[in-house]
Amino acid sequence: MEAYLIAILIVTAIYVLLSLGLTLQYGLTGLINFGHVGFFCIGAYAAAILSTAGSMPIAVGLVAGMLLAGLAAIPIGLVALRLRDDYFAIVTLGFSETVRLVITSEGWLTKGVQGIPGIPKLIDGVGTGPALMILALVGFANILAVIAFLRIVKSPFGRMIEAIRDNEDAVKALGKDPARFKIQVLVLGAVLAGLSGGFYAHYIGYVSPDQFLPIVTFYVWMAIIMGGVGRISGALVGTLLLMGFLEGSRFLRDLLPFISAVEMASIRIGAVGLALILFTIYRPQGLMGDYTRRK
Amino acid sequence: MAFWIELLISGLVAGLVIGLSALSITLVFGIARFPNAATGDTMTVGAYGALLGHRATNSLLVGGLTGAIAGAIVGFLGYWFIFRKLAQRSNVALLVASIGLAFVLRAILGVSFGHSQQVFQLPLVRPWRIGDVPVHPNDLVLAGACATILAIVFAILHLTPIGRRMRAVADDPALARVSGISPSSVMTVLWLLAGAVSASAGIVAGIKTVVSPEMGWDLLLPAFAAAIVGGIGSPVGAVVAGLLIGVVQEMATPFVGFTYKIALSFLLMLVVLLVRPRGLFGKLEGAR
Amino acid sequence: MKLALRDISVRFGGFKAVDGISLAIEPGTLVGIIGPNGAGKSTLFSMVTGFLPHGEGVVSLGEADISRDTPFGRARRGMVRTFQVPREFAHLTVRENLMAAAPGQSGENLIDLFFRPGKVRNEEDAIRREVEETIDFLKLRAVADVSAGRLSGGQKKLLELGRVLMTKPKLILLDEPFAGVNPVLIEELSGHIRALNQRGIGFVIIEHDLSALSRLVSVLHVMDQGKLLASGAPAEVLARKDVREAYLGGAA
Repeated sequence: MEAYLIAILIVTAIYVLLSLGLTLQYGLTGLINFGHVGFFCIGAYAAAILSTAGSMPIAVGLVAGMLLAGLAAIPIGLVALRLRDDYFAIVTLGFSETVRLVITSEGWLTKGVQGIPGIPKLIDGVGTGPALMILALVGFANILAVIAFLRIVKSPFGRMIEAIRDNEDAVKALGKDPARFKIQVLVLGAVLAGLSGGFYAHYIGYVSPDQFLPIVTFYVWMAIIMGGVGRISGALVGTLLLMGFLEGSRFLRDLLPFISAVEMASIRIGAVGLALILFTIYRPQGLMGDYTRRK
Repeated sequence: MAFWIELLISGLVAGLVIGLSALSITLVFGIARFPNAATGDTMTVGAYGALLGHRATNSLLVGGLTGAIAGAIVGFLGYWFIFRKLAQRSNVALLVASIGLAFVLRAILGVSFGHSQQVFQLPLVRPWRIGDVPVHPNDLVLAGACATILAIVFAILHLTPIGRRMRAVADDPALARVSGISPSSVMTVLWLLAGAVSASAGIVAGIKTVVSPEMGWDLLLPAFAAAIVGGIGSPVGAVVAGLLIGVVQEMATPFVGFTYKIALSFLLMLVVLLVRPRGLFGKLEGAR
Repeated sequence: MKLALRDISVRFGGFKAVDGISLAIEPGTLVGIIGPNGAGKSTLFSMVTGFLPHGEGVVSLGEADISRDTPFGRARRGMVRTFQVPREFAHLTVRENLMAAAPGQSGENLIDLFFRPGKVRNEEDAIRREVEETIDFLKLRAVADVSAGRLSGGQKKLLELGRVLMTKPKLILLDEPFAGVNPVLIEELSGHIRALNQRGIGFVIIEHDLSALSRLVSVLHVMDQGKLLASGAPAEVLARKDVREAYLGGAA
């Protein structure tokens, strides 16, 4: 039970990094990033490849994953930030699918659909001790991310991205270039997603293309919409709810063994879809309230 | 040479699928003002509807009609229970809800029909040969069916009063509201039409390849790409761009391989967005 | 800083919304542009400020040809606009709205933000002082900590003017500043505009409210169907027969 709880917390902490990134991008800046999983995937594969085939230290892979994910965000941003927000959504969705295609096709590097097994653990060993160490490590990254997040939110930069979310043309009229801010936000969120991916690869120990389907992006969307958009508490609570939902659906299958694994996958997707619809219609401010309720 | 002509033909057929789905997207985008991510899964609904209809009656025509009606119903239900309630909200709300609807549709189909791929049981017909080029009669039937659907859609848009009202709303929603066009009747027809058109695209895709719960989602990106390349809100543009993307994808397959086909439509979309963001046939966005 | 327009045209499809306008706005003057609905005033404004893709002709500010500049590039040169419908940052407070508008903040740069916190703090203090002055000048003290989205229409117009002032502009383009504003606030706004003009800031104002505008400006331009119909002192221009016909129609 203890081991299970720790495991859940680790996965939650990994997902919190994703939620924080999306909160920064969508909640504060209004960027509709539908390709979050693409950056997550880049981080995971960078960590996986460097620590296995590259036989590099884990830290190198994690940093490389963050850098690569951040770099990938730059061209996407340069192209897409000139466009309407709904085009941005489509372009980022296309980006994440393209990342998955590349991962699938370039077998020489990524082992294609077979995936990469045997990724070393963050901390070696079995039992509660090492697990707690891993949790501490990922948790520490979370705390750093939250501190940076708060610093940004309360700064002139944070003020400006919220201004962009509220009215981009007015920002331009005041002599400021929204794209400059948006691209930095996109990169920051991508770096967080890249780090999250690196942790994920080292924690699960195995990566393959079908772990990086668009549904993962919408898990994170579901989390921040349920929790409350644009608030750090919303990101945290939403991610916990998401974990409860994902784990709960696993328990449900233990209880109802006649539901097959694929059926359960379908039901899970349906539940995500339903949550997105219902929250959007009936509780757009989420459970913790969104940015509109802050003042 | 024959090899290339064969690719061209299969590209055109694939392009019809993309063009039809892009037509549905561009209609909704032009009038309801958001990119409908449930388009792909409405295609899947159409394909399964047609599959059932065809199995029950052994008639492709009845099957196709069943699928199209199923798509129209799904389009309407989506409007009535979801998008209607979000009409006053931002396009993000609509977009997120359409993703939600897409997932719900896929889940329902997955649970109802399982995840194994299914095919239309059609009698094998020997391809005709025109010179060196094999031509499949089925392709011609499908192309004819697509042309008919397109003709019907354009006739509705241009020859009927409701179609004219739809185009008026697409041109200038504010003006249309002032001039007393009832939004709900326009919206109802729009969603019935968009659903049926997406479903038709799904049916053609299902007949050409296989039917599975994921098929529509996988076709969503090329459809978005075609709608953007053609110019949002331009039905003609959607169809032309769909054909273009279909042909480019097929003709490029020998060079880039099968998996990168989808990435090509993405690339084409990026290039168009960079060079000519309003697309091939799009209007310049107005002032104010 | 002189704003000069030479042969400006804007087309939407086959329709010429602005048709060959040439104008010169002398530095520090108070200029009004009037015209019936659809005369192309707002379109002209949007093109001059870079919010519409450039049509034909040349827009120059001072010595510089700014025809191809970005909207924010033009604003940085000191020509700043407002919008017909106020575009407040709805979820920021009035004070934050004003602070956001201050130019050249190093706290908007992530590297400075994390590595030079002292510099950022000092700048913030300076900006805050300036904001307090602006709040006093515009008499927004009572709503300083209210989310801008909750302000009345007139207060939003004041806030927009305040935001523009924070950028230290040389020329302000106001798009219907009096629309939807009550008469008392119109007088107040006019007073602010006069006061600022006395400090040397130029104004170009698009307006429907003729009485308020003609009392305010020294030069009036009349647009009709995308063309410039008349220019001159308000009383003179408004007395012209063709202006009365085009603009006031049967009401005159």
